[in-house]
Amino acid sequence: MTTRSLLWRRRRDSVARFWRRFRTHRAGLYGLGALALIALVALGAPLLVGGDVQSVTNAPGTALESPSARFPLGTDQFGRSLLGLLVWGARVSLAVGLLAAALSVAIGTLVGILAGHYGGWFSTIVMRITDWFLVMPSLVLAIVLATVMSRSMWTVILAIGITSWPTTARLVRAQTIAVESRPYIERATALGGGHGHIMSRHVLPNVMPLVLSQTTLCISTAILTEATLAFLGLGDPTVVSWGGMLQDAREAGAVSSGHWWYLAPPGIAIAVVALAFTLCGRAIESVLNPRLGAGR
Amino acid sequence: MVTMAPHRSLRLLLASAIASGIAATSLTAGHPAQADEGDKAVLTVAVSQSVDSLSPFLAQRLVSTSIHRLTYEYLTNYDVKDARPIPGLATAWKASPDKLTWTYTIRTNSTWSDGKKATAEDAAWTFNKMMTDDNAATANGSYTANFEKVTAPDPRTLVIKLKKPQATMTALDVPIVPKHIWETVGDFSKFNNDKQFPIVGNGPFIITDYRVDQYVRLKPNKTFWRGAPKFDELVLRYYKDGDAAVAALRKGEVSFVPNLTPAQAASLKSAEDIKVNDAPGRRFYALATNPGARSKDGKKFGNGHPALLDPAVRKALFLAVDRKTIVDKVFQGHAVEGEGYIPPRFASYFWKPQGAQKLAHDPARAERMLDEAGYRKNSGGKRVGKDGRPLDFRILCHATDPNDKAVGKYLQEWWGKLGIGLKVECLDNVSDPWLKGDYDLAFDGWSVNPDPDYVLSIHTCAALPATPKDTGATDNFICDKRYDELYAKQAVEYDPAKRAQLVKQLQSRLYDTGYMNVMAYPNAVEAYRTDHIRSITTMPQAAGNLWGQDGYWSWWSAQPAASGDDQDSGSSAGLLIGAGSAAALLLAAGIAFAVRRRSTADDRE
Repeated sequence: MTTRSLLWRRRRDSVARFWRRFRTHRAGLYGLGALALIALVALGAPLLVGGDVQSVTNAPGTALESPSARFPLGTDQFGRSLLGLLVWGARVSLAVGLLAAALSVAIGTLVGILAGHYGGWFSTIVMRITDWFLVMPSLVLAIVLATVMSRSMWTVILAIGITSWPTTARLVRAQTIAVESRPYIERATALGGGHGHIMSRHVLPNVMPLVLSQTTLCISTAILTEATLAFLGLGDPTVVSWGGMLQDAREAGAVSSGHWWYLAPPGIAIAVVALAFTLCGRAIESVLNPRLGAGR
Repeated sequence: MVTMAPHRSLRLLLASAIASGIAATSLTAGHPAQADEGDKAVLTVAVSQSVDSLSPFLAQRLVSTSIHRLTYEYLTNYDVKDARPIPGLATAWKASPDKLTWTYTIRTNSTWSDGKKATAEDAAWTFNKMMTDDNAATANGSYTANFEKVTAPDPRTLVIKLKKPQATMTALDVPIVPKHIWETVGDFSKFNNDKQFPIVGNGPFIITDYRVDQYVRLKPNKTFWRGAPKFDELVLRYYKDGDAAVAALRKGEVSFVPNLTPAQAASLKSAEDIKVNDAPGRRFYALATNPGARSKDGKKFGNGHPALLDPAVRKALFLAVDRKTIVDKVFQGHAVEGEGYIPPRFASYFWKPQGAQKLAHDPARAERMLDEAGYRKNSGGKRVGKDGRPLDFRILCHATDPNDKAVGKYLQEWWGKLGIGLKVECLDNVSDPWLKGDYDLAFDGWSVNPDPDYVLSIHTCAALPATPKDTGATDNFICDKRYDELYAKQAVEYDPAKRAQLVKQLQSRLYDTGYMNVMAYPNAVEAYRTDHIRSITTMPQAAGNLWGQDGYWSWWSAQPAASGDDQDSGSSAGLLIGAGSAAALLLAAGIAFAVRRRSTADDRE
């Protein structure tokens, strides 16, 4: 048996062990189920509703129809099917949520590991910058960023990513310091391991579980922030997203004219996705973090 | 440009309306209803546009100029039926045979609210101030630019000498201020007339109090020469969110709400004690094309797409715009299809393109036109100019105007089919790129006065900025020799029929340039409570608007409903809160759940 196959078996085992433990968290399973369903809908949207659902010139209905057999959730002010838009909007909301969370965690991990590894004045400076971002109200900062940059999906992703990384950075730095105090790191250094080797081969794999659970938790925040920014009219107005739908509903005067079916579905969808990610994240966290015990 | 321009104000109104919706809702929620304190009949109007200044020398926004209409007399007013000039502070006027000297007779029965008589001396001082102090000419300087000398030989006579004839002499929209108050003002660029209340005026109302973005209070002027208004108080109350204002109207917290969306209008139509006024507006809604921004000194600036300098491209773009769909879908019937520059409501000046001149909706012709002009489609289906640059345009859109965004979606699809790309750039502040000329296309709109001189003047070469750094009165950097010649001709034409003919020729020329393509004339859609207001006069009387009139007719004529039904005070934000609560509840449940999990985990530590 080669070392490679050994390594793979060990990884398979640990994944299986992870799954066995994850399975015991019922709430986590519900979250995962909901996520799988939503992801399926989002990926299958081109087949389910087609890209044409966004088109205003080919809109099938009349403005602000109430729910009917043809339009289960009614129509928007252009006569587009709201169910179709809701399905289509899942793509943007999820994509932005995932990418922004990934960006945020990537920045946080990089900063955290560097600060934890090098320590000293470097760490002090980096952590003061982190603190500065931490105390800044992130929504305000995100609004400022989204305002000064051009209106596009990437701007929103960037705005969320740049404003939400400090928590991750702090967590990862603490974990890095904990990992680096272990004797085997000292041995690796003694054997000639450089900074890069230590950070990428020893520290990173050890902070990975933390990063993973942090990402899952980050996503729900990112989705909520995306919806908030879109609702405040800072998203790309030509892209259909859940937050953007809420904004459209408000602009159409759907609130005061009682068209609740325009407002409720995107709102509920945002809440459900955020909840699902939170449930999953919590479950992953308690599986991976032994200090939280079996957790149920 | 867009934000500061006078009378382009509906746009702005909308802009500020939505800008801080949530803040306003929470703000208004805290205030209990103000109407009917005791037996006072209070008329509350929901407004959203911020006051730029209460100084008549600086105010340019619709809300501010409307307030000035109510609080100061102008030399002439507009008739409520047909908007012809009628006596205001002046009872009569006549021009000398050489058309260069105008003599106005000032009325004897107009008194300032501090008891002093309003005289020709006040009017002469106002005009002289605007002529000698550039800071006092900020808002209405265009009216006095051609004045040579203004004198008041006696308290009842005002004489204005002109450099050359001026057709707007019976439509001078300049509030006349009391000399004895304003003499002491130092810097007119800084004085906002909002420190000492009540503000001395001689209009039907007197401003008694004002707080930025909260309210403007006015009381009736009991000595107003045309008769005192019937309501005991007029309050302009701020609702930055349209939905909150409508909720307040339903509750009876406000008596009048302007600028309704089609959905709001539809739902209010069936509401009890509420009347929806849907009438032809005085505004046009257009697609402006950057003609290559330049200044008077000949310098070019900005980064407008060069392909737009080709008339064929501009024509093709407009040929692909289906105005009927915009009226039907975006305005949902609350608008009239666009034709010429001036809305049909001003019948004597209204012009529409006929026959071959008209660019009717015809995408096939647009395709042909682009093909002939050498903009061929490449393998990707994109049209490319001879220089290899694809036809990818940007359009400036007001982030706070839902109509801009909606029309932007349609344009993207219509022009997309032609092989032309469009990026909708929605900004809160479109003025910056606009003034710098950094745009290809833009959504544009102005409220038109009964005398069209102003909206026509903003397309002349004279309105261009002096240098690229300056701000000119220009709307869209249009500078066309033929247009300027016609404009100069109409400006000195005193015969109404002949002038109307010239104004129509002007519009025809503007239409042919393809720089200003009018898509629609939006209606004024507004609602008021019939249990607060028994009767109110629209302008024009037959079918007209109430908010933003060219006179004080609506609020001056409003009669309180007899009963003075009391309204319950409640949270105007209730509806909004209610609607969001479902989502919020679910979210809260999720958080609570998560927190609970965390706490149990912590407990086990």
